[in-house]
Amino acid sequence: MIEIRNLHKSYSTGQGTVEVLKGIDLTIEQGAITAVVGPSGAGKTTLSHCISLLEKPTSGQVLVDGRNLSALSGQALRSERRAIGTIFQHSALLRRMTVAENVALPLRNLGVVHREMEDRVAELLDRVGLLHKANAYPGQLSGGQKQRVGIARALALRPRILLSDESTSGLDPESTQQILDLLDDVRTELGLSVILITHEMDVVRHVADQVAVLANGRVSEYGPIGALVADPQSGAGRQLLPVRALPLPAGFDYALSVSYRHGPVDPEWLTRLSTGLGVRVALLGGSVEAHGEAVLGRAEIGVAGRPEAEVRSYLEQLGLVADPRDPVSTAAAASTRTATAPPSEGAEREANEKIGVRA
Amino acid sequence: MRPTETAAVGLDTPWADLPALLLPAYGETWAMVGMVMALVILVGGATGVLLYNTDSRGLFPRPRLHGVVSWLVNMGRSLPFLVLMAAIIPLTKWVTGTTIGIAAAVVPMTLAGIPFFARLVQNALNDLPRENMAVGLVTGSSTGQIIRQTQLREALPGLTSAITLNTISMIEYSAIAGTIGAGGIGYLAVTYGYQRFDTHVMAATIVVLIITVQLVQFAGDRISRALLRP
Ligand SMILES: Nc1ncnc2c1ncn2[C@@H]1O[C@H](COP(=O)(O)OP(=O)(O)OP(=O)(O)O)[C@@H](O)[C@H]1O
Ligand SMILES: [Mg+2]
Repeated sequence: MIEIRNLHKSYSTGQGTVEVLKGIDLTIEQGAITAVVGPSGAGKTTLSHCISLLEKPTSGQVLVDGRNLSALSGQALRSERRAIGTIFQHSALLRRMTVAENVALPLRNLGVVHREMEDRVAELLDRVGLLHKANAYPGQLSGGQKQRVGIARALALRPRILLSDESTSGLDPESTQQILDLLDDVRTELGLSVILITHEMDVVRHVADQVAVLANGRVSEYGPIGALVADPQSGAGRQLLPVRALPLPAGFDYALSVSYRHGPVDPEWLTRLSTGLGVRVALLGGSVEAHGEAVLGRAEIGVAGRPEAEVRSYLEQLGLVADPRDPVSTAAAASTRTATAPPSEGAEREANEKIGVRA
Repeated sequence: MRPTETAAVGLDTPWADLPALLLPAYGETWAMVGMVMALVILVGGATGVLLYNTDSRGLFPRPRLHGVVSWLVNMGRSLPFLVLMAAIIPLTKWVTGTTIGIAAAVVPMTLAGIPFFARLVQNALNDLPRENMAVGLVTGSSTGQIIRQTQLREALPGLTSAITLNTISMIEYSAIAGTIGAGGIGYLAVTYGYQRFDTHVMAATIVVLIITVQLVQFAGDRISRALLRP
């Protein structure tokens, strides 16, 4: 488990000091995948360097299993930092070493005996599916393969925590999926905590259990993926499961933004709403998908026939949270629409199909 | 020095006698260069590693130390070799007890070679990906391990090129050092070719020097390329 307490980090530059992290508090449970997202320059890499002890925090603490590693130095720091395995953005393999030598590096520097080291390297390469590339050089591997070797190296010293800063950036979707599956597997099998720094929301939704949004050096939102998506007020939730809705068609009274709550949701809620309350319902956009055991879903609907409060409380009973449509998302939808095609039945059908496919 | 009256024009050493003259001189040249390069690689290499790692993005940033070492290196590189050689005669005398001969040439050559090589090593290390150091750190490696594995070993092709370049410079310096009676090919060229207008010796030394430099460069390139990985 990692506890980050009131972490501050400043850099002194020619123009004075810049405070990059302005008091970060985060608890990362053992065995969970925590994503850290945020705009460029938010301080994600700085945070990751503070966790991997490449940088010393200006103040505050990073506790790994209750111990404050950032207070250590020298030999003590060297041995304790082995609890954290780091995966780099561009894999950072040593180019003049073979794949096997790269994976063996941490073991060799720890003084593991040769025989044992060979077995462990083979086991690690097997885990990432690259045993047949043991004697290849990094230059002979694809980006995704390099990244898997990087993961094998990060796992070599049996860390408790795996830290990945943009490790899937620049990879094709298939390689990205392989990496994510691998991270998910080692998390489950080895009980690792994984900290996944990324700007790809798809990645977050696919593997992360919880997400922390970093903005301007602070954690602006933090919680389980399901809870954020279920919260119509959550900006992160909207980014995680974006809905590009159509404008309210003529003949409808108002639009609602609907989120699936954390818990059982009646899959037939649209029909129920329509028949149960006797209202006309138009589906303006939406996205529903499985997230482990749970279901993530957001939709926008247009309603005619009944007052808003009544519809909202009815949806509540079906396991959904409804709010008046977010003006921002409407504006965004309107601008995308003008840029592409005029609203049509086709677009609506497309939105419906999208739901069908994803559900 | 001007050629003396007795050293008449056209008294060329017969071609057949040249090997006997050239071979020992050639051996002396390599003895000088070899000795100098051994010292230069050791001291200059260490200085280059120090320059790289005391830099703000290095393994142990020490801005003040970096500034001092960098300044010393620049100073060592700012003097033309001939000037340096003359300027440090007292030091040479103090170290070797003489001001002429191979021993006396090794001192200025080493002193000129060290700062040159230090910069070449620093450049070769600068060409490495910056993440290499982070890899060493997060895998719990010691400072020595990081320097050996993620810096020197990874930079071997670049370091080989640096050694090649430096060796060729030292061959050139050894010829300049010939003017203070250092021995070697340069001494031959000065005493026979320049002072006695012995065109045979002059031509032979030129050919030998050109071939030597070409071969060193060729070998250096081959080794450097062999050290590259796909
Ligand atoms: N060594 C440094 N010295 C001075 N400023 C720095 C240093 N490292 C980072 N910064 C500044 O800190 C801020 C955050 O940088 P950081 O690399 O942590 O952002 P990030 O969230 O990882 O961004 P990205 O998504 O682009 O990777 C940036 O404004 C950057 O300029
Ligand atoms: Mg970053």
